[in-house]
Amino acid sequence: MADAPPPPPPLPKLPFAPPLGAVKVGDLRGKPGEARWRRPLFRLALTAVLAGFVAVFTVLLWLVSGLGGFWPMWVWFGFGCLFAVHLTVERTLATDPGGRTYVLHEGATASTIAIVLAIWLLDGSETFWPTWVIVTLAAALGVHYAIREQAPVFRAEQLMDRVDELTQSRSGALDVQAAELRRIERDLHDGAQARLVALSMQLGRAEARLGDDVDEQTRALIKGAQEDARLAIAELRDLARGIAPPVLTDRGLAAAVEALGKRSPLEVEVQAHVSRRPAPVVESAAYFVVAEALTNAAKHSPGATVRITIVGDDQRLQVVIADDGVGGADAGGGGLTGLRQRVGALDGTFLVVSPRGHGTTITAELPCG
Amino acid sequence: MRVVIVEDHALLRAGLVALLRENDVDVVAEAETPEDFLRVVAAHKPDLAIVDVRLPPTFTDEGLRAALEARRQRPELAVLVLSQYVEPVYTSELLASGGAGIGYLLKERVGDVAGFLDAIRRVAGGGTAMDREVVAELVTGRTATGDAALETLTPREREVLGLMAEGRTNAAIADALVVSGGAVEKHITSIFSKLDLPAGGGDHRRVLAVLAFLRAAG
Repeated sequence: MADAPPPPPPLPKLPFAPPLGAVKVGDLRGKPGEARWRRPLFRLALTAVLAGFVAVFTVLLWLVSGLGGFWPMWVWFGFGCLFAVHLTVERTLATDPGGRTYVLHEGATASTIAIVLAIWLLDGSETFWPTWVIVTLAAALGVHYAIREQAPVFRAEQLMDRVDELTQSRSGALDVQAAELRRIERDLHDGAQARLVALSMQLGRAEARLGDDVDEQTRALIKGAQEDARLAIAELRDLARGIAPPVLTDRGLAAAVEALGKRSPLEVEVQAHVSRRPAPVVESAAYFVVAEALTNAAKHSPGATVRITIVGDDQRLQVVIADDGVGGADAGGGGLTGLRQRVGALDGTFLVVSPRGHGTTITAELPCG
Repeated sequence: MRVVIVEDHALLRAGLVALLRENDVDVVAEAETPEDFLRVVAAHKPDLAIVDVRLPPTFTDEGLRAALEARRQRPELAVLVLSQYVEPVYTSELLASGGAGIGYLLKERVGDVAGFLDAIRRVAGGGTAMDREVVAELVTGRTATGDAALETLTPREREVLGLMAEGRTNAAIADALVVSGGAVEKHITSIFSKLDLPAGGGDHRRVLAVLAFLRAAG
């Protein structure tokens, strides 16, 4: 029963607008099949026609009234402004929401520049005063454009940097944890265990000094104290071995797995080709995968033969534990889930194949980069 | 019997020295580091070195490596390794160094003064003293090497051989298995013949049988 890894969580939505290339900008023709009067182009045409009528009408009025000065141009100007605003609004509304801010800014800038130019033309000024207005507005639009185009890239770069940082800090944290566990193991060895051994030695010497005249109760007390010290030492030893097996630290994965194989009541065959010692955290994850797999095999399939293959190079470490036992392992069980998490924390993959009656194969692959 | 003690932990070193001196064992020198160890072995020519597996600088298995080096330099040196852990890897490396006079005991065995002194004498005399936990692990674990001669032993004979590896006498083995001394002797004779060990020199044959067992299992 192959067990697919859970799907990755969806990527968080970027708070920044998508680049302009990714949004539909102001298609004024409207959607196909839409009623004509609902199309932006139709509405704009309506405004233009209305403006045309008013233009013609005001010229006629000017001719008829015979008033001096060509005042209708200011009316035209007014309708021109109206048309510019209408065009800007229509274009903005026809744009995908993600791109509207920029399109509105673009429309407003273009309209304002057109209006300013029109005013300059109409008031007949000799000097070209709109230069600074145009330059400023164009520069503001340019900045907006640059931000739109660069922000997503910048954001993506930031996210990539963050992913790198997190990957590093996580592996750093795991390394620190592995080092810390080894330190605890060493502290136990040099501290509590050594003191208990010294205690047991002193009790032994005390017992040896007891004369024949000592009552049996005293002798029994010393014996009892010694037995307690011995048990405490044995318990600490088991604890320390569970934290950081000394042979793993000293001799590496292949030797430690060999030792596991020898301890197992099952027949265990180990093949190891590891060209370079992986990081301690990777080594101990692989070790505990093998230890758990062997414990499970011994529990559920006594009499099985287990084949362990370890292959490692600079890039990755693969551990395969295959037995010919009863199969049907529960990949969601506590032990296997713990291993999956342990391997997953190192960005590794963990696979359990265990068809009922056809043995169990556990494969863990860990990156070593 | 001239003994050197190699132990970096001051408390344990002092305890060991006191314990041995109280029991008239001649402790000729103490060492804390692998370098000191090799130096005192060269200087004092001891019969036996009692060595902690973990020594500076890395506190992993320097003691074991130093013991192997000391035996290479001085093959007649008997070595009793003390460790907080049972590691078949260590015992097999020790056994692979060849020769006799090898012991590997868990540190807490020191508390049993009589047993510890007995182990020291046995190892110094060219015998073996394997911790019963080492033997138990080796017996639980299957012999991956598949030594043909050892495969022919009956479970009872393997049990007897395991007890021999711990260094027990025939009488002690008889007690442990709740059988008669005669039955133990019968088993041992059968083991010797199955392992094809030459007659004569009873102790030597015993050591060879134990070594064969430990090497195959370790």
